[in-house]
Amino acid sequence: MIKNQITFILIVIALLSCDSGNHTRTYHLPKAKNKSFIQPAVENKKESSGFTWEKPNLWIPTEGTSMRLASFEVPYSTGSGDLSIMELGGDGGGLEANVNRWRGQIGLDPLTKIEIENEAENGVSELGTYQLFRLINLEKKESAFLTVIVPLRSSTLFIKLNASADGILELEEDFKIFCLSIKLENSNQ
Amino acid sequence: MKQIIKIVSSPKIFVYTIIWLMVLVVLGTLAQRDIGLYASQQKYFSANITWLGGIIPVPGGRITMIIMLVNLTFMVLFKQNLWKIKKIGVLIMHIGALLLLIGGGLTAIFSSEGNMVIEEGAQSNRVDDYHDMELTIINTSNEILDKYTVFDQPILGKGNILSHENLNFNIEIISYLRNCEPLKRTAPAGFHYKGMLKNFRLSTLRPEKENNRNRPGITYRITNSGSSSDGIYGLFLGQSVPQTAVINNQNYEFIIRRKRTYLPFAIELLDFKKVMHTGTGIAKSYSSEVNLIENGIPRRVLIEMNEPLRHKGYTFFQSSFIEGPEGEATVLAAVKNYGRSFPYISSIIMSIGLLLHLLKSIPKLLQKNPRVAE
Repeated sequence: MIKNQITFILIVIALLSCDSGNHTRTYHLPKAKNKSFIQPAVENKKESSGFTWEKPNLWIPTEGTSMRLASFEVPYSTGSGDLSIMELGGDGGGLEANVNRWRGQIGLDPLTKIEIENEAENGVSELGTYQLFRLINLEKKESAFLTVIVPLRSSTLFIKLNASADGILELEEDFKIFCLSIKLENSNQ
Repeated sequence: MKQIIKIVSSPKIFVYTIIWLMVLVVLGTLAQRDIGLYASQQKYFSANITWLGGIIPVPGGRITMIIMLVNLTFMVLFKQNLWKIKKIGVLIMHIGALLLLIGGGLTAIFSSEGNMVIEEGAQSNRVDDYHDMELTIINTSNEILDKYTVFDQPILGKGNILSHENLNFNIEIISYLRNCEPLKRTAPAGFHYKGMLKNFRLSTLRPEKENNRNRPGITYRITNSGSSSDGIYGLFLGQSVPQTAVINNQNYEFIIRRKRTYLPFAIELLDFKKVMHTGTGIAKSYSSEVNLIENGIPRRVLIEMNEPLRHKGYTFFQSSFIEGPEGEATVLAAVKNYGRSFPYISSIIMSIGLLLHLLKSIPKLLQKNPRVAE
């Protein structure tokens, strides 16, 4: 009897383990005239960065990577930091994911969304509201981040400064002034 | 036939499966601490086969519950001694348990969770899934219409070869990464790497406990295109520039994105309102005044926190919002669950069954203990 019951169980497992679902779909859609954040992943990269800014004279533009709109070497009294500007489609992976990824890179534990919101310094720039995060691990002072996240209409702008913890504190004021100076290229202001 | 019914409807099967489910619940609960809720749910409860320690195959939660469902169905249908008036309570309890399992099945097969983002003044009929991804290939050659061929996440496993009559090439999946990070290459890539992978590589990251923190990526090989487009490509979620290729004079875009579901109705955001806690940037309450548009007929609805919109099996909750320089957008969490009411109904039915069974047993109890009767 037990042998038969086990056989029954095995037959059910064998029959139902096969995935026969159709996982391929096709459809047609009219070409999107205005690819907004409703279709974040297909946002086309602009030929130029699409933004203007005013940087301190000491900051040196560097080549960076093709994913960056711009990169700067940012000197301070005991070294130099790396500043990058990136524009990603939609929310760029989300506030929580990005902040926790940066926290992980400097050895800090992840935070919940509410904790992240509480950590943020909120402000308003030419581009709209922004959130500034100061990410410093006091046990690993050699690398820290100062980041500004600006949600735009169809994308998110990430301005990130990577330097030592001392460098971050020294550069914070210049970094904020720089972030506030960023405007859309066709902006009248 | 009788023999088969006797085997399949044996109460012993129910006992084995309920014990095994208890074991899975313990394992799944413990695993949540290390791999997070979603991954644990997938591994222990939604899987047909669960690999213990990555090497030992054991029945997963889904198959266990299917066996239990078959067993209970046979018991209810063919156990003659259940269909007696004195067993009415037990029978009702069995039917309640069956409904619970059927509800679970409906949820497992048909439920989905995602979000819908709508700008003020705009409308949308699209839900982006929270968890499932899709590889989308768009033929953009036509001036008016884009032709989409979409492969869902379950077939994006390593080694799978994807093909479709719409595509004049094959795609071989080299790897699907649950969480990854694009890193700049420090050495030149081989000649067979194309597109983004010429300058970047996708570095695997340990999956986050919260699944929506992961950034999935995929590397794939285009073959049989009969052109120089054959080669290895890569994509990651949120990539700002889609991978493009021209194959046999057809323009293609390749994107990995959250699985999209198009609804048979649209929601138009008329107005978004938010109230913030004084002196903070934290929202106290927010609401969306929307038009639910079906067959061209709009119906005005207010979606507030704890006041969702329910329509055609979907429930739209006010989830979040986005503020941009040119206006606001609402984020609605869209949940579809046809089995939503089953747990409530089956719990009520099982309670009634239990009550009847107890009531029926009272005279017996009183007879056994005469002092109570006095």
